[in-house]
Amino acid sequence: MTGSDIIAAVSTAPGRGGIGVVRVSGPRLKALISGIVRKRVSPRRATLADFIDSHGSVIDRGIALYFPAPRSYTGEDVLELHGHGGPVVLQLLLKRCVELGARPAQPGEFTRRAYLNDKIDLAQAESVVDLIEAATTEAARSAMRSLQGAFSQRIGELLDGLVELRTLVEAALDFPDEDVELIRQSDGAGRLSRLKAKLADVLSVSQQGSLLREGMRVVLAGQPNVGKSSLLNLLAGEELAIVTDIAGTTRDAIRQSVSIRGVPAHIIDTAGLRPSSDPVERLGIARTWAAIEQANVVVLLVDAAQGDVAADQDILRRLPAGLPRLTVMNKIDLLARAPALERGKDGSTVWLSAKTGAGVEFLREALLEAVGWQGGGAEGLFMARERHVHALELAQQHLEQATRQTESLELFAEELRAVQTALGSITGEFTPDDLLGEIFKRFCIGK
Amino acid sequence: MQLIDKYDVIVVGGGHAGTEAALAAARMGCTTLLLTHSFDTLGQMSCNPSIGGIGKGHLVKEIDALGGAMALAADEAGIQFRILNSRKGPAVRATRAQADRVLYRGAIRGRLENQPGLRMFQQAVDDLLIEDGRVAGVVTQIGLKFSARAVVLTTGTFLAGLIHVGLKHHQGGRAGDPPALTLAQRLRELKLPVGRLKTGTPPRIDGRSIDFTGMTEQPGDAPVPVFSFLGRREQHPQQLPCWITHTNARTHDIIRAALDRSPLYTGVIEGVGPRYCPSIEDKVMRFAHKASHQIFLEPEGLTVNEFYPNGISTSLPYDAQHELVRSIRGLERAHITRPGYAIEYDYFDPRGLKRSLETRAIPGLFFAGQINGTTGYEEAAAQGLLAGVNAALLVREREPWCPGRNEAYLGVLVDDLVTRGVSEPYRMFTSRAEYRLSLREDNADLRLTERGRELGVVDDARWAAFARKREAIEREQARLRNTWINPRLLPGDSVSGAPDQAQSREYSLVELLRRPDINYARLTALPGAGPGVEDAQVAEQVEIQAKYQGYIERQREEIARYGHSENLKLPEDIDYGSLRGLSVEARQKLALHRPETLGQASRISGVTPAAISVLLVHLKRRTNAARGEGRAATRGARRAIGKTA
Repeated sequence: MTGSDIIAAVSTAPGRGGIGVVRVSGPRLKALISGIVRKRVSPRRATLADFIDSHGSVIDRGIALYFPAPRSYTGEDVLELHGHGGPVVLQLLLKRCVELGARPAQPGEFTRRAYLNDKIDLAQAESVVDLIEAATTEAARSAMRSLQGAFSQRIGELLDGLVELRTLVEAALDFPDEDVELIRQSDGAGRLSRLKAKLADVLSVSQQGSLLREGMRVVLAGQPNVGKSSLLNLLAGEELAIVTDIAGTTRDAIRQSVSIRGVPAHIIDTAGLRPSSDPVERLGIARTWAAIEQANVVVLLVDAAQGDVAADQDILRRLPAGLPRLTVMNKIDLLARAPALERGKDGSTVWLSAKTGAGVEFLREALLEAVGWQGGGAEGLFMARERHVHALELAQQHLEQATRQTESLELFAEELRAVQTALGSITGEFTPDDLLGEIFKRFCIGK
Repeated sequence: MQLIDKYDVIVVGGGHAGTEAALAAARMGCTTLLLTHSFDTLGQMSCNPSIGGIGKGHLVKEIDALGGAMALAADEAGIQFRILNSRKGPAVRATRAQADRVLYRGAIRGRLENQPGLRMFQQAVDDLLIEDGRVAGVVTQIGLKFSARAVVLTTGTFLAGLIHVGLKHHQGGRAGDPPALTLAQRLRELKLPVGRLKTGTPPRIDGRSIDFTGMTEQPGDAPVPVFSFLGRREQHPQQLPCWITHTNARTHDIIRAALDRSPLYTGVIEGVGPRYCPSIEDKVMRFAHKASHQIFLEPEGLTVNEFYPNGISTSLPYDAQHELVRSIRGLERAHITRPGYAIEYDYFDPRGLKRSLETRAIPGLFFAGQINGTTGYEEAAAQGLLAGVNAALLVREREPWCPGRNEAYLGVLVDDLVTRGVSEPYRMFTSRAEYRLSLREDNADLRLTERGRELGVVDDARWAAFARKREAIEREQARLRNTWINPRLLPGDSVSGAPDQAQSREYSLVELLRRPDINYARLTALPGAGPGVEDAQVAEQVEIQAKYQGYIERQREEIARYGHSENLKLPEDIDYGSLRGLSVEARQKLALHRPETLGQASRISGVTPAAISVLLVHLKRRTNAARGEGRAATRGARRAIGKTA
C-alpha cells in the first residue's frame, strides 16, 4: 500500500562498489535519523558522520543526506546514507533502519511514492507501471521457483501445522457450546512446539538459500600480525590488504568477495582487536564488532608457533553465542607441520600456511561445513530472498509471543493470526473463510 | 390502479431486517411505510428461539449501540441468558438469550406501533415501480401503488420459497406462510444476479411428552446477564433452563435407512446449505465416526409447551422424523407438533450491492437480510438497520454510511458480502474479524453510539446514558494514570509476581492493572488505590482497556498503516479494460465487482498488490489530468526513473 509508513532499501546495485547507498523515505524521519546518524544532520547538506547500531557501536562512517518533505525525490522526508560499498555494511545499515521502524521497500516503491506526490510526470508514471509489472512477473517467477521441490514441501508442512492449530483455537473460540471432543483432547503445547521447530527448520533452509544468493559472511579475527591479511589474499588470489610487519597495519574491515566452491563468501578482514588509543583504529575495532554480529562464521586466526593466547580466549568469550567458529592455526611452514583439518565439538581447527598456501583447501571445506552448507543439490534449495527471510523471522517472533500467551486463548489466537499474516507474504493469502472451511471439515459443528 | 400514498422510505418485510430498517428510517425523521403480508408475524423468529451467540451477540450489541430494537426486545423476552466464553477473554465473550417467541414479537410490535413517523400496512408486495432506472415505489398484491424515494427489500426466505419434507415439496415462504412468487419473478426480470440457497429447521416437540429425567439441565447464568446497554435485569420475564440430550447409534441407523427419501441426498434440493448448521442427516453422513451428536432442547416460551430440539434440523420424510426423534433418550414418547423441513429460496449476489446496501443496478433500491445470502436474525437485523439508515441518508441527500472492518462486526459483515460474495448462507463468526480484540461486545457503544447520534438514530435518553458512561470511564482512567503507589508499601502478596528490583519504584495504578494477577476489584482494594467506580460497565471497560492495551495499540498501528489507501475512493466510471499493467483476472474481477474503495479492491480474490499499485497510479493520473499535468511534469522530468529500490 502507500502513504503513511517508512520504507528503506539498499539503493545501489548489489556487489562490490566504492560506495553503497541506503535510502529511506517516509513521513517524519527525524527520530529514525537520530537513531542511526550520530550527528546533527542539516537539510540538503552532506554531513560526514558515524552510522551507529542499537548499542551505539559504529556500523560505518559515511555521508548522510537529509531531504525534508516536500523537496525530495519521493516528496516525503528522505534520508540517504552513503556508506562503504559491500553487502555486510549495507545490510547492517538496512537492518538498523528496520529496527527504527522502517520496512523493506517493495520493488518500485520509491518511484511510486514520487509519482503519487507529484514528483515525476506521466511518462515516467507509465514506466512505473512497467516497472511494477516487471517486478511482479519476476517475483512471480521467482516465487514459482522458490515454491518447488523440497522447500515447498517444508513450508507446506509448516502451514499445515499452523492451520491445524488455528483450527483448534478458533473452533474453541467460536463454538464453545459444541461438543468438539478433539478440541479438548488436542495437545496444544505439543503442537506449538512442533510448529516452532518446523519454522526454525524452514528458516534455516531459507537462510541457506539466502546463503547462496547473498553469500556467507566470514569474519577473520585474531591478534595483530598473525597473518589475517595474508590469508585473505590467499583466498582472494590477489593483493588486497596491506601486508606489513607492523602490528595494527590493517585499520579497516576490508571486504572481499570470493567464491568457495560456488558459494559466495564475503570475507571481512578485521582490524586487530586490541585496546588502542588511536581514534581511527578504535573506529575500525568498533566496526569489526558490528560485522561479527552479522556474520555466519568467525574464523579465529592463531599463530601456530605461539598457540592461542589469553587475548584470543578473551575474544572467543565475547563472540555471540551460537555463532559457528573456525580456528585456523597459521604459519605451519615455520613448524614444519603438515596441513590438517581437525573436527572438534567447539568447531573445527585447520592447520595451514597462508604464506605457502598449504592447507587452504582444508579451510574452504571447513568454512562450508561451518555455515551448514549441504552442497550438491543446490537446485532443490530455496532461493530465499531477504524479504522471505524477513517474513519468516517475523513469523518466528509472533510464534515466540504466542508461547507467552497460552493463558489467554484470544491473545494466543491473535499471535497465530499474525504468524499466518507474516507467512502469507510468501505463500499467498489465507482468508478467514478458508479457516472456517477447515473447522467445518474437521469438526461436526452446528446445533 | 391508483397511487395511495407517498413516503420517503418503504420497507418490504416485517422480519428482523425489515423492522430494524423501518424503525431506523423513521428515527431519522423519514416518513416510512412498512409493508408485510401479515402483522401477526412481525418480529417472528422462524427458526430457533434465541438471540445472540458468538459473533452474533456482538452484532446485537452494535445494533443496540445504534439505537436498534433487537437487544431491548431480547431483554423483554429472554427466558434464559448466558455469556458464552465467559472464562475466555473479553473479546470473544458473547451474550446469548433464549427468547419467548410471543413476548419477542410483542416487544418488536410495540416498538413499531410507538415509532413516530412509521406507518404499517398489511399487504404482500408484488412489484417494484421503476422510473428512469430508479426505484419509485411498490405495487401490492391487490394492485395498490405506494411511491417512495427509497425502497428496502427484506424478503427473507420468501422469494420463490420452496419447502421440502422428504421427497414432497410445496411453495411457501415459511411453514404456514405463502411465498413471494410474483415479486421473485419480477426481480428475476430485472436481471439482478440471482442464486438459490437452502436452510432448514428441526421438528418441534410438545414439552409434556418429553422425559427430562435423563437429560442434563443447562441453567442460565447467575447473575442474569443483560443484553442492551440500557437494559435492566428487572425487565426479564421468568427464567427457564435448557436441556441437553444426544443422538445414538439407533438414531443414526434410522437416518441412514431413510436417505433414499431425503431431498438432500437424492439431489432434489439445488440450493447450497450452511456448513456450520448442517442437517442431522448431513452430520451423520459426513462424520460417520461420531457415535452421537448433542441436542439442546430449548423452550419456545412461557405460555407454550413447544420445545425446539437444536441440533436435529432435517428434511427427511415425516415418518423418519418421528422415528428418529423417538430413538433419542428422553424423547421416546415425544409428540412432534410441527414437522422439520428444508427451504430453498432466491438470494441476490451481494457483490451487486454498494456498502450502503443499495443495489448498484437500481438506484434507491436497498436489500437487507437473507436476500443478500446471509443467515441469522442478528445478521439480518444489522443489515436492516444499515439499509434503513442509508435509505434515509439517500432521501436526505446525504453521504451514505457504513462502518469499516476495524469499527464494527457490521462493517466486517458488509465488507465480506460486497467484496467476496457468498457461497453458502453467511453467518458471523469472530474469526472473520481481523480486529477481533478491538471489536468487543463490551465496547460496541463506545465504537458506534456517537456516530449513531450524528446519524440521528440514537435518541436523547440513550445519548445521555452513553455520555455519562464515557465520561466516567475517562475520568477513572485519568485517575488510574495519575495515581502512583509504591508496591513495597503494600501488604504481603498484593502485587506478587513482580521481580524485587521492579518493586523498588513507584507504579501508576494503570500499570498495576495491566498485570495478569490484578483485576479492577483487587486493584481498588489496595491501600491508596481506592475507591473505584460503582458502575460495573465502567469498571469493566477500564479493566479491559488496560489489559488489552498493547494489542489494541498494535492493531491501531496496523489500521493506520492501511488507513489511507483503505478508504481511497475508486471512481464509478473507471474503465478497467483499458488499464495497463492489470492481469486479465484482476481486470475481470474489478470490472465485475466495481469496488468502491481501494481497500475493498485489495480484498477481492485475484486482485494482487501489484494490481493495487496500478490502481493507485491510475487514480493519481486522473487527479493530475483533472488539474493539469504541466507543472509536475517539468519538475519531475529531471529525475531519473532508474533511481528506484
